[in-house]
Formats: sequence, C-alpha cells, structure tokens
Amino acid sequence: MSAQRGIRIDNVSKTFSARGKRIEALKNVSLDCAPGSFTALIGPSGCGKSTILRLALGLEVADTGSVEIGGEAPRNATSAGVTGVAFQDAALLPWRSVEANLALPLDVLGLERARYAGKIASLIELVGLAGFEKALPGELSGGMRQRVAIARALVTDPSVLFLDEPFGALDQILRRQMNIELQRIWTETKATALLVTHGIDEAVFLADKVVVMQSRPGRIARVIDVPFERPRRTNLFSDPRFHALNDEIATVLHG
Amino acid sequence: MADAVDGSLADGGRRGWAIRHWAGLRNGVVILVVWEFLGRFGLVAGGALPAPSAILARFWLDRGDYPEHVVATLWGASAGFLIGNAIAVLAGMLFVLSPVASRLSRGINIAIFSVPSIAISPILVLTLSGMAPRIVLAAISCYFVTMTATVIGLTQIDQRTADVIRAYGGGRWKVMRLVRLRSAMPVILGGLQVAAPNAVLGAILAEFGGGGRWGLGNYLLGSLGRADPARLWGIGLVATAIAGLAYLVFALISQRVTGASRAVTVTTSVPPLRAAGGDNTVAKVLLVAGSIALPLILWWVFVKALGVPELIARTPYGVFEHLFLLDSSPAARAKLLQALAQTLPITLVGMAAGLAAAFLLAVSSRLYPGVTRAFMPIALFTQTMPLIATIPLLVLLLGRGWSVTLWITISVTFFPAFITLAQGISMVPRAALDVPRAYGASAWKEMRLVSIPASLPYLFAATRLTVPRALLGVMIAEWLATGKGLGNLLNQSRGYLDYGMIWTVATVSVLVSIAFYQLVVVAERRVLGRLGMQTAE
Repeated sequence: MSAQRGIRIDNVSKTFSARGKRIEALKNVSLDCAPGSFTALIGPSGCGKSTILRLALGLEVADTGSVEIGGEAPRNATSAGVTGVAFQDAALLPWRSVEANLALPLDVLGLERARYAGKIASLIELVGLAGFEKALPGELSGGMRQRVAIARALVTDPSVLFLDEPFGALDQILRRQMNIELQRIWTETKATALLVTHGIDEAVFLADKVVVMQSRPGRIARVIDVPFERPRRTNLFSDPRFHALNDEIATVLHG
Repeated sequence: MADAVDGSLADGGRRGWAIRHWAGLRNGVVILVVWEFLGRFGLVAGGALPAPSAILARFWLDRGDYPEHVVATLWGASAGFLIGNAIAVLAGMLFVLSPVASRLSRGINIAIFSVPSIAISPILVLTLSGMAPRIVLAAISCYFVTMTATVIGLTQIDQRTADVIRAYGGGRWKVMRLVRLRSAMPVILGGLQVAAPNAVLGAILAEFGGGGRWGLGNYLLGSLGRADPARLWGIGLVATAIAGLAYLVFALISQRVTGASRAVTVTTSVPPLRAAGGDNTVAKVLLVAGSIALPLILWWVFVKALGVPELIARTPYGVFEHLFLLDSSPAARAKLLQALAQTLPITLVGMAAGLAAAFLLAVSSRLYPGVTRAFMPIALFTQTMPLIATIPLLVLLLGRGWSVTLWITISVTFFPAFITLAQGISMVPRAALDVPRAYGASAWKEMRLVSIPASLPYLFAATRLTVPRALLGVMIAEWLATGKGLGNLLNQSRGYLDYGMIWTVATVSVLVSIAFYQLVVVAERRVLGRLGMQTAE
C-alpha cells in the first residue's frame, strides 16, 4: 500500500433543488478522518450521509467549504487511483465476469490489466470466491456479489476506501458474516475507511468513530468514539458494553 | 450459494411454450382452410380475396419476374438500412453525450419522425437519381426508430455502475464506452428489429415515386391496373416475407445478446436530484429557435448542394412563393385547402376509432387474458407487414370509396396502439392490482382504479406513435385508390410536372403531421403532469 492518506471535510454545505423546492442536504459539515482510521456515518434517510461520500469521491461538488483526500481535491485523488469504492447493491456490470468486473477500475484509470492479474487473483481468494473467476454476476448470490464489489474496491490498493451501505440489501445473518469479513480485509489493507450505513450495530462493530447525523438540514449531531479492541470477534455482538453503545447512538438518532 | 433454477418451473415454462406454439400453428391452419374456402367460392368482395392455392399458382407462373424485383428492392432497402442505422446510432450517442445537440436536433428528429414517407418520395425522385431515392427513403424510415432506441438504451443504464466509473475519475466518454454502449445493445437491437421492415417499406415507397423498372413497388404499381388479385397478393406476401425475415434475424440476434445484460438487482436508489441553479431562459429560447431553424437550413443546403435547377428543386422560400406570392397562388391555395378538407377529417376519425378500439380491447384484456393471447400474434404480424403491401389488398376488398380510407386508417392505428397499450398494461405491477383485490374489489372496479389510469401514459405514447402512420396510410390510399385529398394531389402534381405543388404538398403534409404530434405531446404533458405520471416510451 502507498502512503497513508486521511479525509478532511471542512465546513461543507450542499443544496439540491427538486420540483421547485430547495433541500439543504448538508449544512456546515466538518469531519476529519485520520489516516488508517475507520469511520462510520449513520443517520436517517435524507440526512446527507451519502452526499458526504459522493462529495469525497468528486461525484458532486460542494456549494461552499472544501473536501480533501490526502491533501488533494477529490477529482485528482480519484483519478490518481488513490480511492476505492463499493456501492450499495454491488453495482456490477452484468455482462462482465467476476474477474473482468474487478478489472473495471483499471480500465477506467487506464492501467494495464495484465500487470494486475496476480492482484486480482489474490483478491478473489481474499474474499473467498476462488473458483468463481469466470462466473457472471447473475450466477452469484447476493452475498457473493457484494464480496465481488468489496474486492473491486480494493483492486487499486487504495489508501482511502469508501463504502456506501455495501451490505444494505443483505439479510441480518449474512450481514454479520460480511461485517466480520470486512474487518479482516480492512485489517490487512490498513486503508482509511469511510462507511455509510443504516445499521447501528454494523457501525459500532466496525468503526473507530461513529458519526451520527440528523436531517433537515443534514448535519452532524454527535461523534462517538468506539473503544473496543481489535480484532473484534462475534462475541462482541452479545457484550453488554456493545449494547450500551448501541443504545447511546439510538438515543442521539431519535433525539 | 448460487440460486438454483427450479427444475419443475423451467419444465413448466417449456411445456407452456410448446402449447402456445401448438395453438398458434392450429390457428394458422384454421385460417388457411377458411381462407381457401372463401377464396375458392369467391365469397369476399366478388372474388377480390383469392384462395391461397390460387395465389401460389400465380406466384409460380410469375416466378421468373420476382428475382430481379426482389433484388432491386432488397438492394435499396439494405443500403438504406445500413446508412440510416449507422447515422441513427451515432446521432443517439451524440444526443446522450451532449444535451445541447439533442435539444437543437429536436426539430429535425420530429420532422423525420412525422414525415409521411410517401410525401417526400416524389421529391427524392426529382432531386436524386438511380438507386439514391430508395436508399435515402429507406434510411429515413430507419432513422427515428433506431435513434430513439439508442437514446433510450444509452440513458436507461444502471446509474450505480455509472457512479463506479465516475468514482474512479472516469468522464462521459468512459461511461459511454464501458457502461452505456454495451448496456444499450439489447434496446438498439430491438430498434433495428423494427427498423428492418421500415426500410423495406421506405424502399418500396420510393419506387412508387417513379423509380426505375425493377423493384417490388414498381411491380405492384404495374400490376395494379391488371385487376389480378392473385398477383397483388403474391407481391404483398413476398414483401411481407422479406420484412418478416429481417425482423426475425434481429429478434434472434437480440435474444442471444440480451441474456447477460440485465441488471441482477433492481435499482433502489432515488433518481439523482438536479443541483440548484435553474436553466438560463435566453439559452432555452435560442435552443428552441435553433431547433426550428435547423430543418429549414438543412432543406436549403440539401437543395443548393445538389445543384438541381431551381424550377425543380424548391427551397422553403420557393414553397412560400408558390403559395402566397404568385399569380397562381390563390388557385394553388384553393386546391390545397380542398385536399386538406378531404384528408384531415377522415384521418382524425380513423385515428380516433382505431385508438378507441385498441384502448377498449387492451383494457378489457386484463379481464379476459385470452384476448391478448389470441390477438397479439396477429397484431405483431401486421407490424412486420409493409403497409404498402396491404393497402392494394384492402382496396381490392373494399373498393375505392371513402370506406377504404377509413379502414386503412383504423388498421394502421389500431395494431400498433394495441401492442403499446397491452404491453403497458401488462407492466402494471402485480402488487398494485393486489391492493384493490385484497379489499374485495370486483374486476371492473379494479380496472377503473388501477388498469385504466395506469394505461394512460401508454395511450398517449400510442397516439404519438400512430399520428404519422395514420396520415401515411390515408395518403397512400388516396394516391392509389380514392383519387381524393393530399395523396391524390401529390400524384396528380407529379403527372402535371407541377413542381411547386409537389413541394408544397410534401411540406404541408409534414407540417400537419408535426402539428398533430405536438398537440399530442402538449396534451400528454398536461394530463400526465397533473396525475404525477411519467411519459412512456
């Protein structure tokens, strides 16, 4: 992995207009993710958590304020291959095999596929899909597709990893399994991770820091540190301290 | 973990397929037997409907004539098909990449869509020579269908995959190359499927305008006076077979390609909101003005570039002069108005009747699913049948009075409208139907509450679709049979070498068609906007 990079979001506001109405998606939001840290964004629908991620990826431009990835503008960072991203519902190209889907970021960045053949093979191994290299997404289950998406996010050796509700479409049981796998993968890469999620327990289990957001206008209500040691194991899910923290976040969410 | 296909389900599907095809075969045989019986004994319109065996016998006698006619038509149609579709796909890509280009070309696109091909066929014959008129008309007949399909295919992508490309710094072109093009393939192929019969129709219509000696259109025109129904049927069926084969080839190709292109999950994301900051009004007005001016400019450039004498090739100003500035203008205007007064009412009545019938049948097919199943194959078959092949037959069956025009308009409107509506209604989600049903609603109530409102967008789409077809149908009937209206005026002016009138009729019929189309679009936006519905494509 290349040099470590953090994410800096400084006093950002963003407004959308829909059918004549103006919606304040984000108002004066500031957030600092230290290099190598794992941050989770949680909040109700429409609180702007996905907008933060899209701003950081250069998919949207902030009205005011600034967003930096490792000290660079998002568009520069993304086109330099510094970032990796996995979206909700995998977003795989249905006509590309697992291998070819993993190679998509390389095609976009203009990198030579052949030089990454080993990398792709080891990532498929890492997410437990060995033997499915040539399979099309339609032949995989939901959980397998999601793992392809995670592997794809890692193909460029990103120093910053964005995860937009990557397990939103999975059931609770599968989701926990994937959480444990994600933690393992993240520990190996040590990238700076920003996770957008609806699940309180998912956020607490994975993150060093949970950012709780509220809507209208989208803003940060509170930042809560998660003290649990790593690696975190399944028994954490039944730990009373884990539940206490979940409850605390739920209170902020509903406040 | 992979989802296994349920064996029994797949098996049932295959059996259902066999039953459907068996039923289709059986119906076909029944129709043939009845037809043979009717034909043998001359029971329909005094023998205007010959028996299949008689058509076959005639075909055998004429077998020496066919190859050259078929080759000539095929040549024009395929060259036009290739050129028209290449332009259409490139234009579709341009429109998706550049919204400004798309808005500027709106006028041209609507004009090409609305143009009743028979109206410009004499013009193309006047200004171009050799095979060129056929190729151009075939190309024009393909353009709109394929261009629309391309735009729809390129825009209806899985937005999430485009986000992945952009998230790695990819621009419009990368999204186009890596996602849009491949994802649009099935839709584009579907467009080509419809464009193929259109190309055949276009080529034949250009032959009508006065092409050379060979071609099915010339053969048809030459045989029209001989009152030999069996030969007309033979030519019509050969033309249909060519168009149907072309349709089938692309249907098979698209079936192969479609497999891997469907998204595996349903998009759950809300369509992206537009960033704040409205459109510039001045820019908007400029774009609209540009889109109106562009077709006129192209027309002018086309005429000037060909270097055809001004007497023959008129510019937009030439048409204006013919109608308003010359000594003969009042007479020309009177002739034109008289023709319009004959053509327009019957077009409107026919369209209204055809649409109403299609709407009733499609909506009630929700109550009697058997209706759709029995009717759909026939409706689809008529879609591959080049209009031009059926009209002489209808003339034979119904004579040369106004009723033939009316029936042609109805049939031209009814079938495409029925297909659009039936497909639209079948897309109403089951869950939407289950809600009234769960509260014990009767079938009629369910229709009133769900099926009818849900099919409104498709009714408008069907109307838009049929406007130019209806006018084309009426004009062909007038040209060939009734000796009235715009179609006849066009044919007459051709005979009198009245170039000003040829251009004027062509221009006016395109304008009428555009005006109809725009009226429908405005009504559609109003109604659907009020109901909070989206326009259907």
